[in-house]
Amino acid sequence: MEPIIKLENVWKIYQLGKTELAALRGLSLEINPGAFVAIMGASGSGKSTLLNIIGCLDFPTKGKVYLKGEDITKMSESQLAQLRGKVLGFVFQEFNLLPNINCLENVMLPMVFQRVPFLERKEKAEKILKMVGLEKRMIHQPAELSGGERQRVAMARAFANNPEVIIADEPTGNLDSTTGKMIMEFLKDFHIKQGKTMIVVTHDPNIANYAEEIINIKDGQITKNHLAAEKVLWKTKENILKSP
Amino acid sequence: MEDQREYFKIALRNIRTRRLRSFLTVLGIIIGVFLIISLLSLSEGLKTTINKQLQAMGGEMIMVMPGGEEDIFTSMMFGGAKLQKQDIEAIKKAKGVDKVLGFSYTGTIARYKDESKQIAMCGYDPWKESLDVLSIFQGWSLAEGRWPSKGNQILIGQYIANEIFSKKIKAGSEMVIKGKKFEVAGILNSLGSKQDDSMAYMDMKVYQNLTGEKQGTAAYAIVKLKEGADENVVKTEIEDSLEKTRKRRAGTDVADFSVITSEKMGEITGTILDIIQVVIIGFASIAIVVGGIGITNSMFTSVRERTKEIGIMKAIGAKNSAILSIFLIEAGIVGIFGGIGGVLLGSILAKVIDYYGQINPTFYFTTTISPWMIVFALVFSFSIGCLAGFFPARAAAKLKPVDALRKYE
Repeated sequence: MEPIIKLENVWKIYQLGKTELAALRGLSLEINPGAFVAIMGASGSGKSTLLNIIGCLDFPTKGKVYLKGEDITKMSESQLAQLRGKVLGFVFQEFNLLPNINCLENVMLPMVFQRVPFLERKEKAEKILKMVGLEKRMIHQPAELSGGERQRVAMARAFANNPEVIIADEPTGNLDSTTGKMIMEFLKDFHIKQGKTMIVVTHDPNIANYAEEIINIKDGQITKNHLAAEKVLWKTKENILKSP
Repeated sequence: MEDQREYFKIALRNIRTRRLRSFLTVLGIIIGVFLIISLLSLSEGLKTTINKQLQAMGGEMIMVMPGGEEDIFTSMMFGGAKLQKQDIEAIKKAKGVDKVLGFSYTGTIARYKDESKQIAMCGYDPWKESLDVLSIFQGWSLAEGRWPSKGNQILIGQYIANEIFSKKIKAGSEMVIKGKKFEVAGILNSLGSKQDDSMAYMDMKVYQNLTGEKQGTAAYAIVKLKEGADENVVKTEIEDSLEKTRKRRAGTDVADFSVITSEKMGEITGTILDIIQVVIIGFASIAIVVGGIGITNSMFTSVRERTKEIGIMKAIGAKNSAILSIFLIEAGIVGIFGGIGGVLLGSILAKVIDYYGQINPTFYFTTTISPWMIVFALVFSFSIGCLAGFFPARAAAKLKPVDALRKYE
């Protein structure tokens, strides 16, 4: 099976004044279609940088990045934007909804950029919002919603173009544990029912446990890959302490 | 087009979110467009007034006035040199000339009943002949009364009769001009311009007695041509004839002459008014450019404020061109709103000036707002908006999504 995302010897080096800081050091990675992957790491480990590159939001300094077999480092800004909008859906820690437009319009927006006709995108957005249980909040502004509701709108927006990959950056980071759990259930559901690829960045082992594979990042390199069978160790707090 | 409509919506929301700042930015443009509209409407009004007077002068007439063509407006506005008796004789001698009417006018105070008001008085020479020519060829007609036959009888225009004095003047009433009693023999129908309708017409001899102007001279002369004579040929004849007398009087203080056909008159005024309009547009454009800089400033601030939003939109698939469109539309809307506001305010001022002119006879300004002016103002303000918004919009479009998203984190 061809991996949907493939990184080959990727380096990301930031120039901070006169010193260079390598956030990613020769990292290689393959993610297969339909996988549920969690990327874990302490802050400063390079996981956000990795996510940005996987999400085609940033280019590597060195190395190659393939999305659906296409080398993104050779694409123009416009091609990349088009691809991002079509293949990827983003869920951010900060929800990142546009504050000036209502929930329905927020969900419709990615479809605007893909030139979906108005009625079609409205119908689709309504359907997705219903799916995440927000049918009564459609014409509310984001500021009128709770954190959990906002994150559900953000999820609905990520689902809007029926992308193949959902990239979630600390999706529960700003939510209480119950709401966080609900959000993760939604994502898992989407993954199982629709067979979508899920990539979640988190530092919370409870969240990582939803994934089938966990990638640990440290100093810009992958230190360990846990498969689904191993992650059971992490299920309780006591177990975390015992974890290798 | 579909997506443009959506970008338009987003741009409109953005403007609404920053109401106060958007309003202030729009205000900058409003002031510029307001200046353009009000000043242009005034100069258009001036053009209309002058054209009306030119029409009143009639097609088959030639005007002779002292002073060169280049300073024709100075002599028309402020007077100055006069046509001498010899000059008028010289004009009469020219081939193709049928009749020569000398005339002068000046502002004065007139009293009717117990009211004193500013009017203009105008003397024609020769008086009887002038009345014939003016009534037959210039369309002068009486609204009431009769044509004057004695020296102390005058004709007055519609404006004097009905508007200037609080009591309407009837034919046969008595008026005092410069301390001399006159009988209002007749009241003329409107001559087409307010200036002409605000005059009291009398015999030149009486006029010159009252004003102290030298007998036999005149400020201007209207020449009526013989049947079938060509305007331009007669013009040359008059110039030659005047040239000869001028040579004879060499050494004395002789002024230049302008012999102007009605056609030429139209051209000259047209050119001058065009220059005035260019100057006006120039000045008002500066105001609009300043308004445009306001837009640029506001848009740059807006780009900075909304960096994260730009990042979000890019993350969910917005191309650079989409971001560019949204910001350009936003700037364009600000521009066009400024244009609409300016047109409205400018039109209101123009109406006020018109109204003031109507109740105030000595205030000669009228205004005209033509559709092209409005179209010009709107197109101009919209273009300035887009132009001013271009650089901020490009800056926004060029933001890298990852940098834009990282902002404020």
